[in-house]
Amino acid sequence: MKLADDHEVEEFRARFSAFLDAHLPAEAEARERSRSSAHVPDWARRWQRTLFDHGWLLPGQPPEHGGQGATLPQQLAHLEELARRRIYHSFNPQGLGIIAASLLTFGTEEQKRRWAVPILRAEITAALGMSEPEAGSDLASLRTRAVLDGDTFTVNGQKIWTSGAHDADVLLAFVRTDPEAPKHRGISALLIPTATEGVVRRPFGSIAAEDDLDFNEVFFTDVRVPRENLVGPLGEGWRVANGSLGHERTLLWLSYAERLEDLVRDAADVGAGQEWYATLRMDLTALRLLGYRQLAPDRDPAEISVLKLLGSEAVQSASLHALEAHGAEALPHPARTGPYHHLNNEVFVSSWFERYARSFAGTIAGGTSEIQRNIIAERILGLPR
Amino acid sequence: MEFELDEEQRMLRRTVRETLAKVRALPEDRRWETYLELGWLEAPPLELALILEELGYTADPTPFLATATWFAPLTGRLPEGSGTAVFDGTGRYVLDADRADEVALLTPDGVTVVPGARLAAERVAVLDPNLHVAHVDASALAVGVPDLALTGLAATAVGACRRILDLVLEHVKQRTQFGQPLGSFQAVKHKAADMHVAVERARALTHFSALTIAEDDPRRTEAAHMAKAAAGECQRLVFRHGLQLFGAMGFTWENELQLHLKRAQVCDLLLGTASAHRKALLTA
Ligand SMILES: Cc1cc2nc3c(=O)[nH]c(=O)nc-3n(C[C@H](O)[C@H](O)[C@H](O)COP(=O)(O)OP(=O)(O)OC[C@H]3O[C@@H](n4cnc5c(N)ncnc54)[C@H](O)[C@@H]3O)c2cc1C
Repeated sequence: MKLADDHEVEEFRARFSAFLDAHLPAEAEARERSRSSAHVPDWARRWQRTLFDHGWLLPGQPPEHGGQGATLPQQLAHLEELARRRIYHSFNPQGLGIIAASLLTFGTEEQKRRWAVPILRAEITAALGMSEPEAGSDLASLRTRAVLDGDTFTVNGQKIWTSGAHDADVLLAFVRTDPEAPKHRGISALLIPTATEGVVRRPFGSIAAEDDLDFNEVFFTDVRVPRENLVGPLGEGWRVANGSLGHERTLLWLSYAERLEDLVRDAADVGAGQEWYATLRMDLTALRLLGYRQLAPDRDPAEISVLKLLGSEAVQSASLHALEAHGAEALPHPARTGPYHHLNNEVFVSSWFERYARSFAGTIAGGTSEIQRNIIAERILGLPR
Repeated sequence: MEFELDEEQRMLRRTVRETLAKVRALPEDRRWETYLELGWLEAPPLELALILEELGYTADPTPFLATATWFAPLTGRLPEGSGTAVFDGTGRYVLDADRADEVALLTPDGVTVVPGARLAAERVAVLDPNLHVAHVDASALAVGVPDLALTGLAATAVGACRRILDLVLEHVKQRTQFGQPLGSFQAVKHKAADMHVAVERARALTHFSALTIAEDDPRRTEAAHMAKAAAGECQRLVFRHGLQLFGAMGFTWENELQLHLKRAQVCDLLLGTASAHRKALLTA
């Protein structure tokens, strides 16, 4: 154990910092808000592309996938540097952090070239189709069906909560390919271009505003998908899904750390002198420390649930305290008129009321807090299922 | 930063666990001799935190904590025999003051060491049967708690909490009601999961604190407040859920659980509770 980064990490961080100083686009200051988590403004496409070309998008990947073969501690330093400056490297976090990442793990060479790399280069965007009206926490009970006939799947069914689907070019959708197999088997992962005939998307507003459109219902009616779009082996979609959820939760704990850091900054004026503010700082420090520990080899992936639970609950209780400390001052809702924050695709310069309401995204999305507690109890503590 | 124990630290932890399993049945003074022989008192801060966590896990009755983390950081040396220190200005509830061979007093002019026998210490009976605390007449003392003293209490509390959680897990896997092990009920699982998260959080902050002391990092005082506060919060949750999940069995003297509940609680009550340290953190 030691506090200092080793020389290689320090050198890496300094190099990235110098790169940011030199390349951060002036447009980043523009007040253009993203419309959804799969909408990428033009300047941001160019920015993501610049990161890709210089190996700074996913530094852990090889150069052809936007990286430079960086070590895990170096990758964390990269994300920390982005967070410190409140810079988002992609406006399509699901596309970059979950879908492209899953394709790089499970996809064929052709799928990497045709889908993953264009997502990484911000040429296309992607959304994640897991949840269904009857399959939320119990994801394995999903019903959207795909029937393989020759070299073509025919897909029928519905997804819901698909973030950014209305702006996405492609969906990574989990579908049932074998209705006879036990629940967790018989699921497959398919890449479905949203322009395919029979795909209908209906965006709807979030709790924040009627026109805060990120959620979608997606309907599939006799949608034909070529077999080459199958990700991983037929019937092995559950493994791909778990891999994707692992990527998602990793992404999430890092985003809570960022969120907590933002809260430490933004709540300082009402928090100074209050015990909850001390708790907030402790939560942030503990989350970062536990995150560092997770970088060590051979850690149990179930421990990411500890990070997700701790981080999302901490964001929520800190927002609630800030809301309470502001009292009626928390009411005004500047989201429509307030300044758009430097490169930040979450409109968190909004009121404390909105911040608190939005904090539930963290305790619900990517597996609810209750599901994380189940995972911790069963997989880490060994309690019976 | 690297936040995983290295191979030597893991080995130390294994040795400590094995040793403690062996000395379990020995009388207190024999245990104490073993710790001295193994050089545990001289361990650097992080290693000390690991040892204390394991001692907390076994509700150790020796004066190790006060000697290693109260006396030593104040005087810069180890005592002849065992030691403690008085630094909270009041001289009340001083750990091991009634039995230490040497006592360090933090005075406005610096640190003075007096033989324990010279001190008119009045032992206070408390709920924790293994605990020695005493009042000493020391009203003119300055206030200044070393970071290591707070970290030591935090590490001990974390160990006690881990033990409580382990006992709870064992219990809810074995005891059945309604035809099922208690541990299969979700209300029970969720409490266990929250206890685990609290322990992990407190332990991370305790290791961080020890590390800042070892490296004399400028964040050390802040880190010590965080560790002590987190350990206190952790014990409160673990005490409440732990005792509750044992049901009436947890409410008995015979059950080992009581020892660890008390040890964890004591560590919070000494040298400032979680709330006091959260307040201190805000001005650190
Ligand atoms: C902001 C946001 C973005 C999202 N983006 C996407 C996306 O892009 N793609 C996608 O596929 N999905 C997305 N989701 C959906 C998300 O994955 C689901 O909401 C989540 O998995 C929970 O499912 P549910 O909403 O159906 O709740 P339910 O499963 O119906 O649960 C409702 C309540 O019951 C509790 N509960 C359920 N089962 C259990 C159990 N076994 N034990 C104890 N309690 C239980 C839950 O914890 C919760 O409190 C998003 C959700 C949000 C909030």
